[in-house]
Parts: sequence; C-alpha cells; structure tokens
Amino acid sequence: MSPVVHVEDLRAEVDGHVLLDSVSFALSAGRVLALVGASGSGKTTTGLALLGEHGSGVSVSGHVEVHGRVGFVPQQPASALNPVRRLDAVFREIAALHEGDPGELVETALRRARVPADLLRRYPHQLSGGQQQRVVLAQALVGDPAVLVADEPTTGQDALTRAEVVSELAAVVAQGVALVLLTHDVEVVRALADEIVVLRAGRVVEAGTAHELLTDPREDYTRALLDATPQVFAEVPDREPRLRVRGLTARYRNTTVLHDVDLDVGERLAVVGRSGSGKTTLGRSLAGLHQQATGEVLLHDRPLARSLRRRSRAALAAVQYVFQDARGSFDEHRSVLDQVARTAVRLRGVRPAEARSTALAALSRVGLDEETVLRRPRDLSGGELQRAALVRALLAEPEVLVCDEITSGLDAVTRAGLLDLLASVPCALVLISHDLDVVARLADQVVVLHEGRVVMDGPVATTLDGAKERMK
Amino acid sequence: MSLASYTARRAALGLVQVLAVVTLVFFLVEALPGDAAVALAGDNPDPARIAQIRAAMGLDRPTFERFAQWLVGLPQLDFGVSLVSGRPVADFLFSGIGPTVALAALTLVLLVPISVLVGVLAALREGSLLDRALTSITVALHSIPEFALAVVLIAVFGVQLAWLPPTAVGADLFAQPAVLVLPLVVLLARPICSISRLVRAGMVDALASDYVRHARRLGIGETRVRFAHALPNALAPAVQQVARTTDWLLGGVIVVEAVFVIPGLGTVLVDSVAARDLPVVQGLAVVFAVTTVAVNLLADLVAFRLAPRAEVVA
Repeated sequence: MSPVVHVEDLRAEVDGHVLLDSVSFALSAGRVLALVGASGSGKTTTGLALLGEHGSGVSVSGHVEVHGRVGFVPQQPASALNPVRRLDAVFREIAALHEGDPGELVETALRRARVPADLLRRYPHQLSGGQQQRVVLAQALVGDPAVLVADEPTTGQDALTRAEVVSELAAVVAQGVALVLLTHDVEVVRALADEIVVLRAGRVVEAGTAHELLTDPREDYTRALLDATPQVFAEVPDREPRLRVRGLTARYRNTTVLHDVDLDVGERLAVVGRSGSGKTTLGRSLAGLHQQATGEVLLHDRPLARSLRRRSRAALAAVQYVFQDARGSFDEHRSVLDQVARTAVRLRGVRPAEARSTALAALSRVGLDEETVLRRPRDLSGGELQRAALVRALLAEPEVLVCDEITSGLDAVTRAGLLDLLASVPCALVLISHDLDVVARLADQVVVLHEGRVVMDGPVATTLDGAKERMK
Repeated sequence: MSLASYTARRAALGLVQVLAVVTLVFFLVEALPGDAAVALAGDNPDPARIAQIRAAMGLDRPTFERFAQWLVGLPQLDFGVSLVSGRPVADFLFSGIGPTVALAALTLVLLVPISVLVGVLAALREGSLLDRALTSITVALHSIPEFALAVVLIAVFGVQLAWLPPTAVGADLFAQPAVLVLPLVVLLARPICSISRLVRAGMVDALASDYVRHARRLGIGETRVRFAHALPNALAPAVQQVARTTDWLLGGVIVVEAVFVIPGLGTVLVDSVAARDLPVVQGLAVVFAVTTVAVNLLADLVAFRLAPRAEVVA
C-alpha cells in the first residue's frame, strides 16, 4: 500500500537555531505513528508541518507529501472550543467548506466520532472533558480526512477520560484513517501506536515498529522515554505521623466536598481518586488554602489555624504546597531565582544574600543552572518551572510537602527526574495524583477518596489494587 | 443555568433593588430638616399657617401611612404633586424624558458601531501606526471633561464659525436636528474612547486564543473567524461598559444638558433641586433607579449570552 503521509528530510530552524533536522517517516492508511520525545524535541513542529503550518519566524524546508486532507485534533479541547458558540453553528460552518450536503457531512462525522446529535444544541462548557474531546475529533473528521494529527490528546485528562480518548481514536483508525500521534503519554503509545519515531532535539533518535521499540529499544533515551513503570523505591524511615487530620469537613458554597475525614499523614502518603473526589480540597485544607472547613489539622499534636493569615511563620514554613500549574504559581515579572530565594527570607528569616546562594545551589542540584534561573518564568519550560517550584517549597524546610498532580503534563524523562527528587526529600510527602505509577513508585501509604469520603486507607502494597478498581 | 431561569432570577432581584431604592429615597427626603409645608410657607413662616398647609397636604399623618400611599401611587405613575407649581410630578417627568431619551438613543446608535469598529480596527492592526494613533487619540480625548469640550465646541463651531446653533434655547429638538449635533459630539467623545479600548483589548486576546487558532486550522475563512468567532468573545467586557454609559445618558448628563440648554431630565433635576421641589426630586430618583436597574438587567442578559460560562452571581 502506498503511504498517505510521506515526510522526507524535514528541516526547520528559527534564527539559526535548528528545531528539526532531517526528519523522515512515512505512514499508510489505517496505521498509527507516534512521534514521541521530551518537551522541545520537535514533535509539535513536525505535526504543524504536516498541516502546512509553522510558528512565526520558523523556516521549514524538506519534502512533505500528504494524499488527502489533514485533520487536526488539538491539545486541550476545552480551550480549543469557542465558549460563546453553540456546537451546531460551528459544525455548519465547517461543513460549508466541504463538498456535499452539509447535514450529511456533519451527521457522518458525528457518527464516526460517536458524538450524540442531541449535544449539538449545547455550549462547550456544558460538555464533559471526554465529550469535548469527541467533539473536536468530530470537527476534524468533517469532510473525511485521510490523516489525523492529534497533539497530546490525553494531556491533563483523568484516567477515565484518557481511556475514552484512546478508544475513540482507535475506532477512527479502524475506519481507515491514518493517525499521527504527538505525545509523551506512554500508555497511549502502547495502546495505539503501530510505529514509533523518537525525536530528541529535532533529530530522529530511533524509529521502528512499536513492538520493537517498546520491548527492545536500542537507545537509552528511548528506554527512559518509553519506560512507564519506574522501579526505584526510596528507603523511608519509620516514624510518628507528623500531621493528623480530625473530622475535616470542607465545603464550596453549599456543596460539601469532604465529609468528616480522619487521617494520619505518614512519611509518604498518596491521595488518589477520580476528578472531583475531593483530593485537591484535602491538600488545600492541610496547607490552609481552603477556609470553608470545620475540623482540625494537627501538626505534632498542635492544631494549625485554618487560614493562612493566622498561621505563624513557623507553621507556614511547616506545610508547603506545590501546585499543579507551576507557571501560574510564579510571578511572571520577576526572575525565577528571586522568587525561589524569597521563601527562605520570608519564612526562615535568612538574609537575602545567603538565601540567594542557597537557592542557587539547590536549583543547580535539580539541573537548573544560574543562567536559566535568572530568566523570567515565561522563558522556562513547564518541567523546569515545576522543579523550581519544588525547590522553592523545600527551601522553607517544611515538615510536610503537599504536591498536587505535579507530574501531570510532563514527559517521561522530566517526570522521572522530578520523582527522583521527590523520593529523596527529607520531609513528609502528601502526593495528590491520579497517576498510579507515580503512587506505586513513591508512596508507602495510600488513601483513596470517593465523593469526599475516605473509602480506603492502608499501606501501598495492599491498597493499590483496590485503588485501581476505584479509579475505573 | 438556562437563559430563561437566569432572566427570571435577575428580574426578581431587579424588582427588590427598585423597591429598596424607592424606600431609601422616601425616607432620606423624610429625614431632611423642614418639610414641604415649611418650604411653601415662604420666608416669614407663621406656625399656624404651616400647620394649616400640613393638614391640607396630609403631612400630619403618620410617615408609614404616607409611604404606603406613595408606594401604591407609583405603579399608576402617580408621583404626587409639585410643591412649586401644583402640577402633577408625572407631567415634569414626561416633559423631560422626551429630549433625554432622544439624545440617549441617538448617542447609542452612533456609539456602539463606531466604538466596535475602532476597537476591531486597532486590534486587527495591533502595534501598527494606526493602532498607536488610535490609542493616542482615544487616551487624549478621554481625558477631556465634558464641560470643557462642550465650551470649546460652542466657542469654535457655534460662535466663531457659526456652523451650528450653539445651544438649544427655545428650539424644538425634533424640528431642528442641527441643535443636537454638538451635544451628541460631546456625549460620544468619552464613551467611544473607553468602549473602543475594551473592544480592542478583548479582540486582541480573542485573536490570540486557542479557539481562534483552532477555527483557522479547521479552514474557516478569516472574515468569519474574526467576526463570528473572535468578536463575540471580545464584546462581553464592552457590554457592561455600554450599560454604564446608557445609564449615565438616561440620568446623569446634567452638565451637558445645562450647557446646551436642553430641557431633559437633567434640567428638570437641577430646577427642582434649586426650588426645593421635593416631590419632583423623589419622582426623578425613582425614574433613575428604574432605568439603572433595567439597563443593567439587559446588560447582564446580553453578557450571559456572550459568556455563557461565567456564573454571574446574582
């Protein structure tokens, strides 16, 4: 069969900086090619080149041949759907661009992406994450494309939605569409890919069938990237729980999101559960970020004030929080180093010069050199910022560190680095996550939340299987 | 939440707001020292005469009884009787409302298209000479107060060049539309600036958004992307500002009416305050309360349609 996509010697550069260099691959109808690589490896540039697009100032050369139309499935459908447009109006606009009866085109696309027609009268915000994903898929399928390019289709989705996305994409591929998958989600690659192209800094490191690369990769980089099941268990000292939660009930407006939670926070606690189960609220209550709550949080048997404002400096330092959105947790106008060093000045009364040198040393231990951290947050990648945020929290020398989904949206290599870092922290760790691989790797105690109640609490060895059941 | 249930909730809230303002107006006027009888009795009040007037006007009855009576009269447009002329307050309101509404409507008809156009143009050419020129002009214009602009325009176009009538003294507004030109320019000057800035900012954000990029990738034409996808999102913040402007036009353009001698509600207000004609002031306060609530209700409904995600906390 002749390939529907044929890319030969693709090269892209911006201001003399090479983004892609001699990238070649081919793909036939009904097959799935996964382009994998860490952030900045050139996945997105390659994907855009298939669409005939490039970022501003980027010059692209080489040969890109596509037989038929290319459909694009964007990352984060929630932001790709216009909040003020009903779905049906937009579908009609898209259908008008193609030949054939518009009603029929839309109907076919909806059926192929398994979108029920009665969703069409809705606005995007009235759909679930999985439905939004199917809607953007249906939009891409209008007019019967030969190739779909899906950009990180599972980033930021919970386990259930992820599984849905995979099955939707598989169904579309079964109808004979070729799929180019840009992703760092190894689970998705395993589930879907027929062929894998591994990119690193714009070059193809390794390419081959999925079976070959997943079972017997030649390069260490590929192994690190595709190895989803991390092994290392860190030694955790046995000691009294530093933090206890008694009768914690938390509300948002009139909705109770946590019901009477009792918990002893061990040295490595993982909090798992579906989206909306109250994981984040629990973490926020520990850190004093959620005030509509009753009950007690005890640090070494002394109750902590519910509100941040009423906590003493020492109490503030004792419980630190690392947010899921690292970028949002930095002030965009000041250098990263300033902001990281500031914690120690504020919370431990260290002199600024000393705090700065301590911060520099700690940042360089996580692989962030001086030149990088003197820049402002927008010039750092998500993974770099997440490491900086972690260092910032650790410089307060906390007793307890709450980490809210801090590995989601990171590629496997960056994630592994972050997990190594977490494994070695000297404080107690509260890990909020829906990634059970991360949990298995780091935690010694697992708490499963369901609709705001603790439904399971126990050592990781005996609780994890039950947790998996609960997450389904 | 659907549009219908949102409308019902907002309307109920609006009714409560109007009632609250009406109550407040009545009791604030009540709290003023002296009453209508004192005002009517003239410069050398004779206590016996004051008591006589009070009895005649019913002012000697308990406050709450009078409040209830006033409240019952409101829906029938019975605002009481002017102290100065003895004519019903409603007559004053009706005579003033014509010019004010005409001026406000004309201003809005010009304001909305012009400011949206200016904002969109500036956004589409973001950073260009045109954008910077529009920015400079709007900022400069916005910093000139109405009365100053009005005086300058009258001096230049009304007196020096004599192109347009300087004021509307004695003119029938509808028979001689030329008298409306200068007031319109003054009323438009600042709102055009503020609203076009909001549209520009919204449009710049919308054009850089993921959903616009996505719409372009789907192959939707550039004009459609700009006007059907980006613009509705860009308008949401401007709608609230248009509402505030409308509210101002319907009750707050006292200075402009005074400078151009337009017999609108602002003039009625100035006159009645000067004459201590309290029933007329009360009536005006009720009218302003109702227009403010109604205009904001309308704006919230439009904004709700333009930003269906936002949970507007009523």
